Formats: sequence, structure tokens, C-alpha cells
Amino acid sequence: MQNEGKQKIWKDYQKEIADDHYFYVRSCIRQNFFPGSEQTFLKILRAELNKDIFENPHHTTCSGIGYHSDIVPFDTIQTIVARQFALMTEAGYRNLAVSCITSFGIYNEIIETWKEFPNELEKIRNYLKKATGREFKIPQNVSHASDIIYKFREDIFARKKYSLTNHETGKPLKIVEHIGCHYAKMFPGKGVGGAEFPHVLVGMIESWGGEVIDYPERRHCCGFGFRQYLVMSNRGYSISNSKKKFESMEPYRPDAIASNCPGCPMFLDRWQYVIEEMEGKTYGQNGRGIPVLTYEEMAGLVLGYDPWDMGMQMHQTDVEPLLDKMGIEYNPDLKYAGKDGKQIGQVKMAGCKC
Amino acid sequence: MKHIVIIGGGIAGMESACALTDAGHWVTLIEKEAQLGGKLNQWSFLFPDFTPAEKIKDTLFDKCQERDFSILLKTEVKSVQTHQKKFNIETFGGQKLEADAVVVSSGYELFDARRKEEYGYKIYDHVITSADLEKLLRPGSDLSVAAGKNPKRIAFVHCVGSRDEKSGNHYCSKVCCITGVKQAIELKKRLPEAEIFCFYMDLRMYGKHFEELYREAQEKFDIQFIRGRLSEAAEKMDKSLLIKAEDTLSGRPLKMNVDLLVLLVGMEAGKGTATAAAKCSIEYEDSGFLKTNDTFLFSNFSSQEGIFLAGSCTAPMSVNDTILHARSAAMEVNSWLRKQ
Amino acid sequence: MQLYEQLTQDIRFEEGLNSCMNCGICTAICPAAEFYDYDPRMIAGIVQSKDESQIEELLKSDAIWYCGECMSCKTRCPRGNCTGLIIMALRSLSQELGFFTESEKGRQQLVIKRVIGENIVYRGYCILPENLIPELHPEQGPVGEWIFENRKEVYKRVDANYCGEGTGALRKIPKESLDEIYQIFEITGGFERFDQIEHFSKLKARSMGFSDVDEEFTDYINHTYTTNNGKHNRP
Repeated sequence: MQNEGKQKIWKDYQKEIADDHYFYVRSCIRQNFFPGSEQTFLKILRAELNKDIFENPHHTTCSGIGYHSDIVPFDTIQTIVARQFALMTEAGYRNLAVSCITSFGIYNEIIETWKEFPNELEKIRNYLKKATGREFKIPQNVSHASDIIYKFREDIFARKKYSLTNHETGKPLKIVEHIGCHYAKMFPGKGVGGAEFPHVLVGMIESWGGEVIDYPERRHCCGFGFRQYLVMSNRGYSISNSKKKFESMEPYRPDAIASNCPGCPMFLDRWQYVIEEMEGKTYGQNGRGIPVLTYEEMAGLVLGYDPWDMGMQMHQTDVEPLLDKMGIEYNPDLKYAGKDGKQIGQVKMAGCKC
Repeated sequence: MKHIVIIGGGIAGMESACALTDAGHWVTLIEKEAQLGGKLNQWSFLFPDFTPAEKIKDTLFDKCQERDFSILLKTEVKSVQTHQKKFNIETFGGQKLEADAVVVSSGYELFDARRKEEYGYKIYDHVITSADLEKLLRPGSDLSVAAGKNPKRIAFVHCVGSRDEKSGNHYCSKVCCITGVKQAIELKKRLPEAEIFCFYMDLRMYGKHFEELYREAQEKFDIQFIRGRLSEAAEKMDKSLLIKAEDTLSGRPLKMNVDLLVLLVGMEAGKGTATAAAKCSIEYEDSGFLKTNDTFLFSNFSSQEGIFLAGSCTAPMSVNDTILHARSAAMEVNSWLRKQ
Repeated sequence: MQLYEQLTQDIRFEEGLNSCMNCGICTAICPAAEFYDYDPRMIAGIVQSKDESQIEELLKSDAIWYCGECMSCKTRCPRGNCTGLIIMALRSLSQELGFFTESEKGRQQLVIKRVIGENIVYRGYCILPENLIPELHPEQGPVGEWIFENRKEVYKRVDANYCGEGTGALRKIPKESLDEIYQIFEITGGFERFDQIEHFSKLKARSMGFSDVDEEFTDYINHTYTTNNGKHNRP
């Protein structure tokens, strides 16, 4: 593989990412499965990078999962999105920092729709005014939270405690990236590096000492498919698509999977467990799974944050093999402990080596 | 004696220059490269009958040699001004020419395959273009260079940079279908063991002997034609390529592993023609190709009187079509000059 | 109004279909086409044909419910179409006309409305920790079960603000904000969509012999959530 072509693409797709004063909108899936990642993101921005990032408790879901499982009409989601914009406008912000990829795709889709169909924008302004009395301005800059970490990746590395290298051999860790489909597949120009060779995670991984492994099914969807996961009898779709990715990445013996999407890391994490339960198959080294990271966790590890503070105990596939390679100090006894240091309930781990 | 300046010394420019000289005019042929011949210099064998490109080129060179006209190599036009029915042409080298008529034969450029990011040209080691392959088809060249070994499975991708809104090119490049058939046969002759697949949407076998060659490719050379546009390529660990298309005739997604992927790159008007249009203040179409006065009877006339068009600066054309179009341009210039 | 004409009223249809030349580039990388007996190219073909009876058949079929809306098709189409957007327009129309209850996959809309839809309106989230009941989500594994059983403590441990006031992950969305979301649903046709799903699903449940003693049609919901006739995949 040659880098010449990739570098041209990366040069061609440099999107504008605001450098301060963000209005933060959370992700439903992140909050449920990896809430520690969102907290880590805010901590990095505020405590490490001294950025102003504002969260208004009144913001809600963008309703994107409902929209993409087709129970929420387009007018409704447009108006909900307009309401988020109104909260942003009222708080005096112009830059949106979006935690979720589905939402990010929707914000882009809606803003583009309004550009192409100005009547649609007028209609939504009226709906919002009628429903809530609010008015809004379209954000000047819409960045996904991973864009922001990408932008400041060197500043983060300047404060590093660990790097993405094997602490014993000094060699870079091999990491495969997985980009959420709605990050750039709909609007390639809205993603760092475009749709085919996104640079957003590659940039982070390489800046932090790791090596990116490009594998054949890299671009393939994790298999969420909205209704294809939400309904139990459809989940064969979801697992078979994830499986296809595991099979494709396995020969490269990756040390970790990193993703910039809220849902994908959960699926790539959970389906490894299910495949092991069903078929006894594991994809990592020494009969274990491949640890799956959110980019916030990856940044947090580099900065020396405690993995359990970041919620990495909420992964089904153990992250310890990666922590050990990086030489990260952690207390295994506190993995499932609460704030008070006492065990929280009982984890039934029988039969799962992941 | 009238003086005609021809901009572009590819085959269209060469043929027009010869024809206009024969008609008794003085011609200056301007070429930005160090030699005449344009894109023909890149081709090894021509469809549909595998005539060596060299042979056509040599014949054209000889024709030019035998005639008396002026050739300015490594020369680019700086400006073209119209003054009292004359054209004042200045080159970047400071030469000043006065012409009674101008022929634009600035040709085309090959589509830059890097723009189809999903095929990984200049990223994946074993993805090449039809132009790259053409060089490898010369006798004595080593075909294993492109795939690291003699490829066992080869796929051709039709319509790369043509009929594609994503590339910004809506038009058909016309020559790639038959180029694919020609190159597939040549590869099969050299590598009889190899399996060869062509991924196409439509096979546009418009020319004399084209359809016959397509049939021969199927019957005699066992080349497989799959109706489906390639969606993506990805490199595997052994550097072979995983490609994905739909076999639309059976309605199934299809994945295949190949050792070599050949992208049949289309034609674009390119920078040379865009520059010529700007300098001569003549109109061009959305595609970038130069606008002709009509499609039927005035296909050598530009939007400006006295400036004529020849060859693939007006539309994708084969070598054959280009030569014919260049000859007709010469005839139109001659008739027009006689009326002046 | 003809079905095709109704489709054209949907802005996503206008965006999603210019003209299709049947190249198959969408099907080639479609995660659904690989798993299901599904071909997005043919969906575009049928709609483009404007054949009313074929479109009606499509609206009543499982085929329109196979897409995962990953939108991978949009990146590639040489004509700038997006079969994913065409599907969204077809699904909206199928629900409006009640055709969705004619297919096994379409009938699943009710359970999605009941869980995701009601979460959005009444809680301000698409999903919530209490939805992840281990029996319904065995894939969440022992860790998922641990989180579910101990959710208050686990979320507290990672600095989420589960059901709390103020900012933070999983915070309680203030009532006045939920009222605004409610108003938005009311004005923009959100509840109309919900009502259509409920109305046609109940008709179907009755006709399929499910008892209407339980107004919520729990048995029907469980049936649609778990049934898979095994005929959806490629032979």
C-alpha cells in the first residue's frame, strides 16, 4: 500500500473545525453504553485544552434513531434539530460539537436540505416558532467531537502519559479504525479525509504513536442498521455484518479497534462476545477478543486517565490486553467497584473469555 | 499565401497541418511538448486490429517530414488577439505570429484515476490504469511488474471517470469499452492461464470491427464480461485486491479476489484545451470540451469566426475519428480562406 | 393520488432518485443485500418504472424493510441517487397507507414506535438504560446484565447523571423541554405517524387473531419482535 494517494486525498478533504466555544450535544447511544467517553471528552476540552464547551440540560435527543427506523417524520426531526439550534443560538454559541455520528449526519443532511430547499427552512422556522416560540440561527460550524480531538491531537500528545506503543518493545500498536457510516458517506466533504479514506482517526492514531492497519472490510458498516438491531428477530443482520469485519481484520492481528461512532464500538464489542458464545471463536490474541475503543477513551488513555474512571469496565470485551501492552497502571480489583471502592453487585462472567 | 497557426501537435494537428500545406497554405504547428504525436506516443497497439501505434505515428511523421511547414516544439501560446480579420499570436518564448486562421487541436487528457478514491489508484499496489497497462503490453515488457507476479486473475473496470456524476463527467468516453476488449485479449495472449473479467455497464461497440472483436474476446479468449459497475476495491494482506460489484444480470452482489485491477480511464478536455479556449476566447461545453457550431454540419467551427477545431478537443474520439475530423477541419479552413 | 405521485411529494425521494442506469454499484456494497434476499438497484428500478401495481406490491413487501439506512449507497452512485433515501420515502408512504402491516418486517414498526418513539416524546432520549432488559438483549452479555441490574451505581461510577437534575449524561430532561418536544410532535405530524402505526397495527393484530382484551396488544408486539419466518435471506 502506498501513502501517496492517501496523502492527496487527505489534502483534498480538509474541513473547517472551529477552535473554541462549542455548544455540546450528546449522543443517546454514548450516554447509555459509554457515558464515560462523553465525560472524558468534556474533561479533555476543559481541563487539558482550556476550551469553552457549553452543555444546556434542556437539549434532547435529535430523534435520529427514530428517524432512521422511520417512525419519526422528516418534518418532526427537522423541527427537533431546529430546537437544538435555537438553544445554541440563545446561549450565544455558533459552533456545534456533536457527540453522535447519526446526529452529525442528520445535522448535515438538514442544513444541506435547507440550502437546497429554502421553503423547507421557512416551514421549519414556523413550526418551531409555533411549537416553542423559539427562533434559531443555523450553526456556523458543525463539527463531530472526533473532529475536535483530531484538530488538537498534537496538543493532546504534548500532555501524554502513555503512547499507543508496546511499552516493552517500543513498537507501535496495530490499530484498526472504524468510522461511523453517517460521518462522511452521505457528505464526503463534511468529514476529515472524506468518505473513502477518512483521516480523522488515522491522524489521532499516528500522532499518538500507533500504526493504522487498513483491512479490506474497513469501510463496511458495523451492522447497526437501526431497525436491524432494534428488533430482536432482525439481529442476524447486525451480527453477520460485524462478523464480516472481524474475519477481515483478524489476519492483521490488531491490538485494538478504534471507532468514532457511538453505536459501532458497542456492536463491535458485544458481537465478539456473542460469536464466542455461539461458535467458540475469538479474534484477538491468546484466545481473547480484540479490545474496542472509543476515540475519547483512546485519548484518555494517552493522557493517563484511569480506565475505570472512563467507564472501560462497561465493555464486554476486556480492554486489559491493550492496557497491559501500553504499560498502563490500573487496579484490577477496582474494575467493577463503585465510587466508594466497594464491588457493585456481581458480574457473571462464566464462559466469557473476551 | 495564407498563414494558418495550429495549436496542438498531436495527431489532429499533424494531419491538419499536412492537409493545409497540400492545399497550398503556409502552416505553423505549435506543440508544447518536445515531440509531436501527443497521446499516440503512449499507446502500443491500436484497436480494433492491433496495428502498432508506432506505425501510424511513423507514417504521420513521414508525412510531416515530406511537407514544408514550420513546427515550433516546446512552445506554448501566450495570447491570441484578433485584429482586422487577422490573428496575432504570441508565444511564451516571445515569438509573434500573424495568422489568417487558427486551428485548435489541443486534444484531451486522461482522467486522473486517483479521483475515484474507492478504487485506490496510487494507494493499492496492484491497481493500474489502461494507460499504464498499455506500456506493459509492449513486446518484451515484463507483465509481472504490475502485480508482483504474473497475475492469475485480472479485472478490468469500465467507465472510470466517465458516465459518472461523482467524477463530474456525465459523458461517455467512447473508446474505453473497445480498449478494454483489446487489452483483455492482449493480456490473455501473453498470459493464457489468466482469468480475465471485464466489469461493464454497457458495451458500446460502435465502430467497424468492434463488435466482432468483442465476440472474439468471448469465444476465442474466454474473457468474462460481468454487467455491473465496480463499487470498490480494497487491498488484502497478500496485496491482491478484493473487489465488489453486483452481477446485475443475476441480481447478486459479487465479491472477487484479483491480482491486478485495470482501470479503463476516460477522456477529459483537460488543461491544454481549457487554456486554448481561454486564449482564443472560444466557447466550451459543461464537459470542458470545445463547443462546435453544430453537431452535424459545422463540427469544425468554433464560436469565433476564423478559429477552427480539430479532434478530441471537441469530444472523446478514437485515433481513427480524430484523423478524419482533422482532415475535415483542414477542408473547412481551406474553403473559408478562399471565401475571404 | 397515484402512489408514484405521492412518493414525489417526499423531499427525500426527490433527492434520492434522479434516474437509475441499473449499474448495481449500490447493491455491490449494501450490507442488507449481502444478508437478505434484497437488491436496492431493483427498488430504484421498480419505482422508476412508475408501475402502480408494482409500487403497491413493494409498499406491502418485506423488501422495503431490509435496508439498514447506513447510506453507503449514497457515496457511490454515479447518478447521485441514494437508494437509502428512496427507501425512507417508501417506508413513510407504507405507514401512511397502512401497507406496512402486510409484511412480517413491516409489522415491526409498532414495537419500534412503542419503545423508541415513546422514549423520544416522554423522556427525550431514543434509548434508555431501562430498555436494555437482559432477556430482550442477550447480546449485551454479562457486563450488560451487570450494568442493567446495578445501573444507578454503575452510571454514578462513571460520572453520568442518570435521572438527575442539571447537565450530564442520561440526565433527566426537564419537563418544560419535554413539553416542547410534545408540541413539536403535535404540530409536525409526529403524532399522526404514531397514530397511523397504532391504528393499522391494531387492525392487523385483530385480523391475525390476537386478542384485543389487552389494549396494548402485548402478544402481538412480542410476536412481531421475535418472529422470523426464515425466508428473508438469500437461498
